[in-house]
Amino acid sequence: MITITDLEKYYATEEVRTIALNKLSFKVNEGEFVAIMGPSGCGKSTLLNILGLLDDPDGGSFVFNGIEVAGFNERKRADLRKHNIGFVFQSFNLIDELTVLENVELPLIYTGVKPAERKARVDAVLEKMQIMHRRKHFPQQLSGGQQQRVAVARAVVNNPKLILADEPTGNLDSSNGNEVMDLLTELNEAGTTIIMVTHSEHDAKYSHRIIRMLDGQKVTENVLSEYVSSK
Amino acid sequence: MIQNHIKISLRNLWKNKLLSTLNLLGLSIGIGSVLTLAFSVYAYYNADSNIEGQENIFYLKTVTTGGDTYKSTPYPLLNEIVKASPEVIAATHMQGWGQPWLKYGETEFQESSNYVDPDFFKIFSLPFKYGNPETALEKKYSIVLFHKISQKIFGEKNPLGETIKLNDSINLTVTGVIGDLSPYSAFRLGVLMPTKLLEDYPTFIARADWSDSFTVNFFKLKPTTDIARFESQVTALAKKNYSDPSTLSEIKLMPFSGMRSDSLPVIDTIISGSIAASVFVLLIVLINLLNLNTSTMYRRTKDIAVRKILGGNKKSIIIQFCIENGILVFASISISALLFLGFLLPKLNGIYGADFGSISFTVTNDYPVILFAIGLGLFVTLVVGILPTLRFISAPISTGIKGRIDTIKSNFLVRNSFIVLQFTIAILFICVAIILNSQIGYMKNAPLGFNKENVIVGNIDLEYKNKETATLKFNDLLNKLNADPYVKDFAVSDAIPSNYDFNYNQVYDPETDREVRTRFANTDEGYLKTLRIPLVMGRDFDEKLDSADDHPVIINRTTMKALGWNSIEGKRLKGKGSVTSGNPVVGVMEDFHYQDMQNAVEPLVHFYSNKNSLASNRFLSVRFAEGHQKSIEKLIANGFSNIDSRRKYRQENLTDKVSAQYRLIEGMLKTVNVVALLTIFISCLGMFGLISFMAKRRVKEIGIRKVLGAGVLKLIVMLSKDYIILVGIAALIAFPIAWYIMDAWLRDFAYRISLQWWMFVLSGFFALLITAFTVGIQAVKSARANPVKSLKTE
Repeated sequence: MITITDLEKYYATEEVRTIALNKLSFKVNEGEFVAIMGPSGCGKSTLLNILGLLDDPDGGSFVFNGIEVAGFNERKRADLRKHNIGFVFQSFNLIDELTVLENVELPLIYTGVKPAERKARVDAVLEKMQIMHRRKHFPQQLSGGQQQRVAVARAVVNNPKLILADEPTGNLDSSNGNEVMDLLTELNEAGTTIIMVTHSEHDAKYSHRIIRMLDGQKVTENVLSEYVSSK
Repeated sequence: MIQNHIKISLRNLWKNKLLSTLNLLGLSIGIGSVLTLAFSVYAYYNADSNIEGQENIFYLKTVTTGGDTYKSTPYPLLNEIVKASPEVIAATHMQGWGQPWLKYGETEFQESSNYVDPDFFKIFSLPFKYGNPETALEKKYSIVLFHKISQKIFGEKNPLGETIKLNDSINLTVTGVIGDLSPYSAFRLGVLMPTKLLEDYPTFIARADWSDSFTVNFFKLKPTTDIARFESQVTALAKKNYSDPSTLSEIKLMPFSGMRSDSLPVIDTIISGSIAASVFVLLIVLINLLNLNTSTMYRRTKDIAVRKILGGNKKSIIIQFCIENGILVFASISISALLFLGFLLPKLNGIYGADFGSISFTVTNDYPVILFAIGLGLFVTLVVGILPTLRFISAPISTGIKGRIDTIKSNFLVRNSFIVLQFTIAILFICVAIILNSQIGYMKNAPLGFNKENVIVGNIDLEYKNKETATLKFNDLLNKLNADPYVKDFAVSDAIPSNYDFNYNQVYDPETDREVRTRFANTDEGYLKTLRIPLVMGRDFDEKLDSADDHPVIINRTTMKALGWNSIEGKRLKGKGSVTSGNPVVGVMEDFHYQDMQNAVEPLVHFYSNKNSLASNRFLSVRFAEGHQKSIEKLIANGFSNIDSRRKYRQENLTDKVSAQYRLIEGMLKTVNVVALLTIFISCLGMFGLISFMAKRRVKEIGIRKVLGAGVLKLIVMLSKDYIILVGIAALIAFPIAWYIMDAWLRDFAYRISLQWWMFVLSGFFALLITAFTVGIQAVKSARANPVKSLKTE
């Protein structure tokens, strides 16, 4: 599904040029659950931004679903993004002015889904995430775990092929964190590809494969069983 | 989608209650005043819009060799022009003649009456309610009424064919009723009658020659007319026929559209001032919204990024912001409309109504103003919805999602320039207000050369029904005044300071032939005493020494100077063309301001008139002992209540009459005061909102500084400093502009203040004070916050 080859990204200020991604290459197959780990500043988030088509690489190739997308303009990226990719963030990033229902409905509005179908799909996903009873609440009125469930609901409502999760449990206590990880696993089992950036070894265990990064490069790549046995 | 936008907009507005309220307040007041000013400008330009082909309508203006100009010419000129010029499509005289009384049944009324030629309605397409404009004035004994007069006499019925009696003698048939003109129209008309009627008046025939200019002339010319050639033709015709062609320099053709400002040049100042004020207020309102919206954008970068990630495009995000601003703007327009109709328009009429008449708003007539308001609303919405959004919407999502805005740098410069611009305008208005105030104060308090206190002025030109009995009774009253211990002096005259006729005449010294153009007035021996006008030389009029038949005169100092005299010993003054030996000059009075201080004291000649000659006098002025005004007023009023007259007796204080001369300019001051307060208020609203946002963004910085030991005072200075500096810069820009404008404006005044440095400093100080207060409130609040709490919030 995703193939990146020699991917490069720089950040330049007036004096310093920082290399965020340094000729990074890897592949993610459809249906996989991949965890990306590494210390702060190793380029995880930059990578996720590029994979999510939020940012453009400075070099290398990025093939998404068989299409070379490096060099796509903003409009093309946006179009590809809204139909194929769902996002889950550490800080949830729900829109404060919208209710749970409206937050989840928003991607459907942007992709032009008809109101009746919108309602059905939102209801279904809220049921599934077990937050139907909270649909009229605003984000501030929910606990962290509930907010992240809403965020996951919003990410999957459009039935994306790929979910990108950036530290999805970073702001949650362990029991809420586990619930969210279970949710992601369920989605993955239902066929959605998941790429997750995390600091947590615990969360990484939910994945099939772990890519470890340092200074913008891939250091190791272990399939989960190998990882467990090497311990 | 739209529903969704509206819902979110409302929630957003509700969430930022402080900001929304500030915006709503600033916008409502700002747009309300822009509407009011715009409406008055619209009413002014639209007042005569029903008159078609205005570009081809002209009136004549006489320019004398002495440089004077007036709108009238000798009566016969018009017919000569019509005979000689094929360019004339239609032409009409227009003049008043006396103040005729009209009578219908038992109702008597006196209205602004004008005599015009049948062509009048060919030139001016006025809206007839009844009758036919083509024939309305064709018959000699006809009369055309304006609607408000017709309503007063006939109610709502159609009065065509009814008979109205003119001056108790001539029957006129109503042949037309014209819909009322706007109070801002070039015409102040009540009734129109044919000029032919005047030809029956011997007094008219006597004056309607080539020596007396009293008629106004209107022409409709072919569009192809060469105006310069036409003018020289007219001037040649006039010079050929004038009794004294040496006094005439030229006759000019003036466009009808400029007639209003030609008669009262201050209108131009008021109109251009109103336009400038509306533009400036609007600019300030726009800047406020732009600045405040930009500030909120910082907080909303994350929101925008999330929407973009979820598939929102730029368009939908811009629409969201436009709707949010649109709700605010149109809510404000609704509030401002109420403000305009319920408060500002009545206020405006209160200020200018006495001079120009009150204007009212009707949807059917004034719908362009509504369209203007809607257009204005859309314009403001789009500008403040799109401009601030554009900068943020292009920021990369990857930084936006972190709430970072490091890509936006130049914004501070833009915003600071905006603040400087706002305060430049505000300080400019404050400067103008202070200077205008000083000038008016100066004019009202400057020594006038006479004492205006404790003088009652009664209007005695009342059209007495029986002149003999009136004179007898009037003398009775004068005797009573003479006997009253609380009457110090009294005088009868045909002029009073603030009310001298524009009665100009050329006089000369028969010994030297030196000529002076002076104004004439008739006064008795009590005038100088009553008004406490000092004599410089010679003596006052004296009942025993002077008789009205000798025509002795007292001149003012300026006349004496103009004649080059050092003494009046044996001096006489002769009128141009007079065959008598001239008038003996018995005294010289000190120059006093018999007209307002905008005009210089011109040469003035007082002729002696008898106290008891009611016919030629218009004013009775009485100086009373302080504290006895009421009793004296009663005494005079009682005296007149016994005399049968068509008009009612009225009296007022001389102080009020003198002040009334400045009513218009004081009206301007009131408007400027309001606009000045408004601009500073709205600017401060914006600044207040901006600072509260800035302070929120700097919560962490303030917290860290406090932890490191910064004192509250230091923090307040830190938070306020920048804004105070900006206002200081604004003041420095505003001062020279204000100086330039007001210096030019003051030149129109013969007696004026000189601009002082303190006027500018005061306005700057005022602006700074308000700013410091506005900034201070917020700064104190932020600086005193608990650092532990603020560091946590970050």
